[in-house]
Amino acid sequence: MLPLIARRLLATIPTLFGVLVVAFLLLNVVPGDPVAEMVGERADSATIARLRAELHLDEPIPAQFGHYVWGVLRGDLGRSYITQRPVLGDLVERFPKTLQLAGAAMLLAATCGITLGVLAAIRPGGAVDRFSMLIAYVGISFPVYWVGLLLILLFAVALRWLPPSGYGSLAFLVLPALTLGTRSIAFLARMTRGAMLEILPSDFIRTARAKGLGERRVIGRHALRNALLPIITVLGLDVGNYLTGSILTETIFSWPGVGRYVLLAIERRDLPAVQGSILFMSVIFVLVNLLTDVLYAKADPRVAFD
Amino acid sequence: MLRHLLRTVNLFDTAKTALFLCFLAACSGRTGNEQSQGLVYYESYDPRSLDPALSTDVPTGEMVTLLFDGLTQFDPDGRLLPALSDRWTADRRAQRYVFHLRSGVTFHDGRPLVAADVERAFVRVLDPQTRGGRVWPLLPIVGAADFAEGRAGDVRGIEVLGDTAIAFTLTEPLAVFPKFLAMPVAAVVPASPPADLGQRPVGTGPWRFVAWQHDDYLRFAANSTYWDGPPTSASLTVRIVPEPLTRAAEFLAGRLSVAEIPFGETVKWEREHPDWLHRKPALRVIYVALNNARGPLRDPRVRRAMNLAVNVPEILRTVWSNRGVAAAGSIPPALGGSDPGRKPYAYDTAAARALLRAAGVSDQGFAVQLWRSGTNIELGRVAQALQAQLAAVGIRVEIVSRDASSMREAVRKGDTDMAVLDWWADYPDADNFLYPLFSSASFGPGGNYSFYSDAVTDSLLLLARRTVDQGAREALYRRIDSRVFAAAPWIYLWFPVDLWAAQPSLAGWDVAVIFNGQRWTKARVAADR
Repeated sequence: MLPLIARRLLATIPTLFGVLVVAFLLLNVVPGDPVAEMVGERADSATIARLRAELHLDEPIPAQFGHYVWGVLRGDLGRSYITQRPVLGDLVERFPKTLQLAGAAMLLAATCGITLGVLAAIRPGGAVDRFSMLIAYVGISFPVYWVGLLLILLFAVALRWLPPSGYGSLAFLVLPALTLGTRSIAFLARMTRGAMLEILPSDFIRTARAKGLGERRVIGRHALRNALLPIITVLGLDVGNYLTGSILTETIFSWPGVGRYVLLAIERRDLPAVQGSILFMSVIFVLVNLLTDVLYAKADPRVAFD
Repeated sequence: MLRHLLRTVNLFDTAKTALFLCFLAACSGRTGNEQSQGLVYYESYDPRSLDPALSTDVPTGEMVTLLFDGLTQFDPDGRLLPALSDRWTADRRAQRYVFHLRSGVTFHDGRPLVAADVERAFVRVLDPQTRGGRVWPLLPIVGAADFAEGRAGDVRGIEVLGDTAIAFTLTEPLAVFPKFLAMPVAAVVPASPPADLGQRPVGTGPWRFVAWQHDDYLRFAANSTYWDGPPTSASLTVRIVPEPLTRAAEFLAGRLSVAEIPFGETVKWEREHPDWLHRKPALRVIYVALNNARGPLRDPRVRRAMNLAVNVPEILRTVWSNRGVAAAGSIPPALGGSDPGRKPYAYDTAAARALLRAAGVSDQGFAVQLWRSGTNIELGRVAQALQAQLAAVGIRVEIVSRDASSMREAVRKGDTDMAVLDWWADYPDADNFLYPLFSSASFGPGGNYSFYSDAVTDSLLLLARRTVDQGAREALYRRIDSRVFAAAPWIYLWFPVDLWAAQPSLAGWDVAVIFNGQRWTKARVAADR
């Protein structure tokens, strides 16, 4: 296992360098001027020219890229043009909050989604199946912002059970986690149901039942265990997406996470903040993928790694 | 590991536990960030910094205004009031100003304010190392431009007169200079500011800094030694709430003291909560910049025809929920220099067609691009309405939707035919609408996005800036506005009226016409009494 992890980690270096190059070039190709965002609505041309020179924005692109890569190699993602704060510090401040939201959403998605999927698969066509598939359809079809606003109106404005938005105690986590997790619940439920339906008619399940094992044990240990691979895939992809910031959910629920940070940085053409965030997110994504691969091997030893 | 996990974790029990946790969380709702207590205001995004030198946007400017004072200040109605300077004098030409400092003012750390603090604060804003981006309010001072460009070691036009007074000599007479000094960028910071002033500010303002959780909230406590008396409430929280509909929900849940009503909800709020609503004409104008240097838009007859072809009252009613007043000029009605007698362009498509024919436009009309910012939904709808109405007189409008930054760059470079835009006042004066928007010295980044160029307008604008007598200055602004209005460099749309809801328990608060006009010093929640 360890050589596998080491090999995968080594392979991430060119990936991350590629990400750096693409992010840098893209940001330099898109229209919009970071200095225009710094100076606000009314500015004098002399100030704009001076700031461009000071930020090295008037240098050739390879030279600018060189400055940036040299900084990254020293662990310095630079300072935001807009706030003048170190980008790494900003990301480190926000990432735990994104992690918290992603963790809660995934916990919710895994428990509810897998449970619904299993229950649906036990009696296909039954009432539970129909109900959980209805939930799954609804969850996949409804856009996140709509679900979020609806939940706020119901639980925060009408019932006043939960705060509408903000960051704080567990109560603040419920609605955004539910909003973020809805799609995953729906997707996981469908995925689990499909995988279970394929596995339940298998010989080894019949054997397990013939051995006299309880239904709970048959489903939980034998069937679900074998249905795990596609579930892990979905979970891994979703965790990767959630950890890199969920812009809509964070915006609707005023959640101070990485997603909003990146959105604002892009809107303001805050080059160091955008580049730093992209690099940071790529590292997270690569690590989550690595973890998913390790889980594959744990869940199913037949998955061969050379 | 996983095998063990699967053995021990029962999915059904886990689901039950999760539901129980949700229930617990619901019950412990009050233990979160206790922002429902006291005064709670909001910003739509995190301020850049709390350093006045970096205040180039509204959230930063508003927060700086709570923590710092300038030599002058604005009240919620936009009147210029004394602040750190309790009186000032100008020479006959309005070129040399002497500001006398109020006595007994101290910074939040207890140090007394002296004139050298003001000098250092201004020099700091101009210093190229500060990289703040907004130096123009101080550039009229002699030597400021040279210093900002690194060509001089000091700013010659600033003269400290002992501890209690400071004089500014300007490069040319400027009657509105005292208003420039009420802008957040001219707020006074200590002569030796802490290195992290932007994060842990020390000012003289009515509120002291307590905490700042980025993208979440800022917290302030009343400055008990404030020179104008401490604020009525003990604390003020400013939350960062980006989504307008969430803000409305937060207000309804009692967790915000005030909230601006989202456009789509205007009628609902007017029907359900009329008592909570506060209206105030804003110092803001919505307009379409017609590029006066491009294609058929060079001809004033074409531009006037476009104004006649647009049914402003209808767009105002349908798209903007009637939250505005049709514009007959560019100076908002609340400002001196606006002309209440001037009539907006009437909606008259026949007259518009006749004007177009007179301008030599063929019956096939012509095609233009109208740029809009993709992030501003309301202005996007305005663009669609304009497209439909201009089509009726043969002007084929293609809407180009871009993000705000791309659009700003294109507009400033003059690469757009038309752009639907708005302009907010930095200081409440007609000069702030006419000079940046129509002087040829303000082309592009300076604010003149229509590239309107008229030598007479330019000289009248300079004359007005130099005129000390307020009545004469306003008469000049009326004249300039009329002249520009006749040349129609814009499609004149409307002056918005702000619509806010305030909690019934909130007293001593009013919508401010200018972003830095509300300092929350008189505001209180009635239950606090």
